[in-house]
Amino acid sequence: MRTSILTIATSIVVALGITAAGADTLADVKAKGTLTIGVKNDYPPYGFLNNKGEIVGFEVDLGKYVARELLGPEGKAELVPVVAANRIEFLNSGRIDIILATLGVTAERGKVIDFSEYYVSAPGPSVIAPKAATFSKWEELKGLTLCGIQGSYYNKHLTEDLGVQLTAFKTQPEAYRALKDNRCVGFVFDDMTLRKKTEEAEWADYKIAVDPYEYIPQAAGIRKDDTAFRDAVNKAITKAEAEGKLIEWETTYGMPHSNYIAERAKAAAAKLKP
Amino acid sequence: MFGLDYSWLSDPVYQGWLLRGTLNTIGLALASSAVAVLIGTFGALALSLRIAWLDALIELFVELFRNTPPLLQMLFFYFTLSTIGLRVTDPVTGLSVPLLSAFDCALVSLSFFGGALCIEAFRSGLESLPRSVNEAARSLGYSRWGRFRRIEVPIASRICLPALTNILTNLFKTTSQASVITVPELMYYAGQIYNDTFRTAEVMLLVLLIYVSLVSVLSWGMSRIERALAFPGYGKGH
Repeated sequence: MRTSILTIATSIVVALGITAAGADTLADVKAKGTLTIGVKNDYPPYGFLNNKGEIVGFEVDLGKYVARELLGPEGKAELVPVVAANRIEFLNSGRIDIILATLGVTAERGKVIDFSEYYVSAPGPSVIAPKAATFSKWEELKGLTLCGIQGSYYNKHLTEDLGVQLTAFKTQPEAYRALKDNRCVGFVFDDMTLRKKTEEAEWADYKIAVDPYEYIPQAAGIRKDDTAFRDAVNKAITKAEAEGKLIEWETTYGMPHSNYIAERAKAAAAKLKP
Repeated sequence: MFGLDYSWLSDPVYQGWLLRGTLNTIGLALASSAVAVLIGTFGALALSLRIAWLDALIELFVELFRNTPPLLQMLFFYFTLSTIGLRVTDPVTGLSVPLLSAFDCALVSLSFFGGALCIEAFRSGLESLPRSVNEAARSLGYSRWGRFRRIEVPIASRICLPALTNILTNLFKTTSQASVITVPELMYYAGQIYNDTFRTAEVMLLVLLIYVSLVSVLSWGMSRIERALAFPGYGKGH
């Protein structure tokens, strides 16, 4: 009984457009006329610097689209570069309004933030190794030394479940250097980044030795229980999907066209049909 | 309490990581402290011989390792030495691999850094002896080595103990930088744990407490040594 009264009371408050203080990002964003977005600036194709030094990318375009949907054609998008280790802190401390920075949906993260609609299905980690490497399955990596990146969400799985000897660095260039130095037999990292690496002349002798063991949906990160804002963001994402915008951006940023995005575009178009 | 959530600490994996990290931190700190004190002792001894070329060599060592950040030294040992040829062939795989492991690089860097500071501290201790003490010993018939062993070192070592405590506590805390070259010490695992659990404040607070406890034990031990060695008229002696 008490819950239903509370629910009704909340709905009335929401209907009136007055939500609990601090949790109504939608009103705040509308008041300041700017959507502050946490994006990657070192992660092609999702967010990276072009040769003019501007941050561009798949998720940057999505962010600007969402900003226009929420705030009208005059709406501004302020881009704040974030990294994996600080993006959730930035969101929850109010420095950004939304995360659009290769944020994979995981149960652990779900405890501290909410997710929008899942707009991309991103491959998890794969392993880059010299072409001579004989391993091709995750089970074959037991006891082998792999380079990695500190703080990656899959590190615990690698060391505890698969028995990998992980040598984790702070940044990618260090891990690449260590791989070339044979400090490890392979480097485990985000599949899309590694695949781009194997196309570089300097890395011609390397291959993707082990394919990703999972695909993770990618979503926008939103503060917990920020319902009005999340609904508005979801509406904007679905509209972008229905208009085929995400497929357009795949083309713009040289990404392979994924079935996931195509399917979602169809579903969104069907949903929005009058 | 205070809205802190330590439920992640019940995960045996994280317990294991914290334990392993703490042990690696202690191991690295003890090993590098021991080597640093050895370097300091022999360096200061060599300086007291007043041989021009040896003095110049030691001064170069001190300037080089005291005046550069240990973090930079570690990165240099880890990435640069192997690139310019300090490599061996792995007998199992037949691949050319770097000679120094991550732990070796951290140990060398911290030992050299601490050693350079120790040389200066010990030298200042030796030089603080009044000339008259030496002259008195000489008039009693002590040889150069006898003076060094029986008079200079016993007095100088007591004088520079507080300075040594400072150096060793600093060295202990500097081990945290070894996580940058992948030495799996306390900070290395702490970073992974708060990236997994998002309990940044809780993990940091715990790690802070571990460091405070460990360094307190160290400085308590050093002050015990200081007290035990004290003799009338100097430091803690009455």
